[in-house]
Amino acid sequence: MKVIESLKIKEKVYIEQFENGLTVLLVPKTTTNKKYAIWGTHFGSIDNHFIMPETKEEVYVPDGVAHFLEHKMFEQENGKNSLDTLMALGVDANAYTTNDHTAYLFEATQHFEEALEELMDYVQHPYFTDENVEKEKGIIAQEIGMYDDDPAWQLYMNALDCLYKENAIKIDIAGTVESISKIDKEVLYKCYNTFYHPSNMVMVVCGNFEVEEMLKKIKAKLIEKPKQGEIKRIYAPAEKEIHKPYKETQMEVSQPAFIVGFKDRVEAENMVQRHIAIEILMNMLLGKSSPLYQQLYQEGILLAQPDLDYEFTKEYAHVLFSGQSKEPKKVQEALLKEIQRQKENFDQTHFERMKKKVYGDYVVEYNNIADIARMLLADYLKQIQSFDYIEQFQSVTPEYTKQILQEVFDEKKCILSVVKAK
Amino acid sequence: MKNKKTQIKEGIQFHQIETNKFKTNLFAIFITLPLTRENVTKDALLTAILRRGTKNLATQEEISKTLEEMYGAGFDCGIEKSGDYHTIKFYLEVINEEFLPEKENLSQKGLALLFDIAFNPYTEKEAFQEQYVVQEKENLKQIIEGKIDNKANYALERCIEEMYQGKPYGLYKYGYREDLETITAKDLYAYYLEVIQKSKIDIFASGQLEANLEEIVKENPNIQKLQPRNVNLSIEENKEEQIQVKEIIENMEVTQGKLVIGLDVLAKQKNVTYITMLYNTILGVGSNAKLFQNVREKASLAYTCSSNYSKRKQIIMIRAGIEIENYEKALQIIKQQLEDMKKGEFTQEDIQNAKNLIFSTIANIEEEQDTEISYYFGQELAKSNVTIEEYRKKIEEITKEQIVELAKKIEINTIYFLRD
Repeated sequence: MKVIESLKIKEKVYIEQFENGLTVLLVPKTTTNKKYAIWGTHFGSIDNHFIMPETKEEVYVPDGVAHFLEHKMFEQENGKNSLDTLMALGVDANAYTTNDHTAYLFEATQHFEEALEELMDYVQHPYFTDENVEKEKGIIAQEIGMYDDDPAWQLYMNALDCLYKENAIKIDIAGTVESISKIDKEVLYKCYNTFYHPSNMVMVVCGNFEVEEMLKKIKAKLIEKPKQGEIKRIYAPAEKEIHKPYKETQMEVSQPAFIVGFKDRVEAENMVQRHIAIEILMNMLLGKSSPLYQQLYQEGILLAQPDLDYEFTKEYAHVLFSGQSKEPKKVQEALLKEIQRQKENFDQTHFERMKKKVYGDYVVEYNNIADIARMLLADYLKQIQSFDYIEQFQSVTPEYTKQILQEVFDEKKCILSVVKAK
Repeated sequence: MKNKKTQIKEGIQFHQIETNKFKTNLFAIFITLPLTRENVTKDALLTAILRRGTKNLATQEEISKTLEEMYGAGFDCGIEKSGDYHTIKFYLEVINEEFLPEKENLSQKGLALLFDIAFNPYTEKEAFQEQYVVQEKENLKQIIEGKIDNKANYALERCIEEMYQGKPYGLYKYGYREDLETITAKDLYAYYLEVIQKSKIDIFASGQLEANLEEIVKENPNIQKLQPRNVNLSIEENKEEQIQVKEIIENMEVTQGKLVIGLDVLAKQKNVTYITMLYNTILGVGSNAKLFQNVREKASLAYTCSSNYSKRKQIIMIRAGIEIENYEKALQIIKQQLEDMKKGEFTQEDIQNAKNLIFSTIANIEEEQDTEISYYFGQELAKSNVTIEEYRKKIEEITKEQIVELAKKIEINTIYFLRD
């Protein structure tokens, strides 16, 4: 077992890898009454083409399979639904699917052990039938409908369409009504058998517990599985250029919404430092106290500070500024101008101030056990150790950050997605 | 008692919640005033103006810089309906000094800044700064118009508006576009002075607190200039059954229909809020609930179907996103669930499951700083003093008979459907 401690944030993570390949991360905390467990598999909406490790069969799956599988995992052979069983224990249970992973989780103040057993039971025992797969299609079609009415989601999907031509991140996580109609139980089992092997999974538990005891409990519930080789995932090759600079759509909204995005290169080195520098830069460019935000706010072009995001895996990486404005194009133009200005005239005081702010943001993440566990899981799947964001903080220098500004915030890699009012 | 409450002046309470669960200290100020058609828009505008500048930090830019220097102290303010009252809420969150790279007492600094924002605004000639008011009116106009953007919330707002036509609770918390034209910087400032001198004020501090915090609050110049005030918030009026169910169908461009059903809780029995909580959980909270099981799982009609109980107004709001042509079918299934509740068609197991769910909600109160503050503020408004342990006990004791008795006194008030 490996132990990593952060003295700055006063947290410890215990890392254990079982023989069958499952990795477990444990973060014990004595100050809470709760426990949060999350079990994730490295299988998300982008994994639609792969080679099965044992049979070497090359498989293409319909869009939305990872999410569909997530829905169906709760159904048990005895007719029970595990989500109901967990809720009945009074634990707050859920699951979600992202571009690169699927996770099953619950948070408990009581009945933790029964809940952990249930979680480990249902994730290890899929039960798909023609009938239960058919029934789910209606429910997921409604979920897709819900997203169709959501301007923010449409805006985001269009931004991805601008950034990438072929990349699987463009696939809607839930798929489409058409794509999910092609899903059957055979496809689900193929995906399950490939991606739900312990060696492709990681479990994180955070909260009030004893480390050794918790490990024992988890180990006892793991079922034996033969070792599995590497899953070969096939993705479209990385594209350097953007797909198209602009996309707009019309919806019934009061005010246009926009995303200005910048495409970053994938597989860059020092991802933690790069991420910190990009966060600082996004704040310097369009944070609350930035000259540009102040100007656009005064002019009534921005009403609120845009959301600032940097999303990345080994397959994609991009910076997103998203908000509402009656004049999205002006926002983009002004932002590009401001980038140019900061490239020529980097303000060291501003940098130091935003660095402090970003540090505070990282510390606040540790207020909540659910946030800690989810962060550790998502970072682990990107091969990042979460504490590094705190530990490597001081090493992000103005010089390095300037260099990232030059490299990432490039006008040629910039896109604009707009949802206009009808 | 975990929440140590002291009166700073008549009508101004200071609540200290000592806890070591967090990396942050959280401070909050709640100003509570009657919700009226006349002032609703002004209240909303005030929250926007106050964040623009103080006498010490005249611009938003200076405020932001100060917050950022404090390791990105989080500041937020907003407005909420609390039954027939409007509450202006200010929050400021700072990192506890033991987690900072270099020690620095951010708490005192943060609390002083929060008082400054709420009670010491930037003014010019006995008025708010003209430019700020012009800009914030424009911004608020866009927020008001933005009501249509989230269709599900819009449908909920519309249903509540229909249930409470002409009554305070039916007002939109951000107010109305037509009011904005007539509000001036001078009038708004005069209104503000009245608000801070007459309204109920609750100050909260949560985290690892300094022993002399109460003194620090009392000695703050902004607090010293506040006058004692007589605030007697009324508890809710009695409800009467509506003669006829309202049914409203409206059109907007949506792919999914948004169905909202407002229920009145007309029961008067003892412990009615706790029993209603349990009723509501069995009906519509979580995946074991009747609505989820019957509308989603059995009939496959919706992705979401749930209900939510508002204690202060004694209403339950049911919400579902459904295929437009399934309106009648969904409505019929939902009505059937209400009937089944009246007939007592739920098991002891359903009750226990619902209790478990509520127990975890209760256990969670102390695990989130803002949730804990909200809990004690709720107690303050309800003029009650139920500890978290007592709350749990009250839920534990509820019986099936009590729930059925209550179910018989729950009636549909309004059915609202948003479709294409």
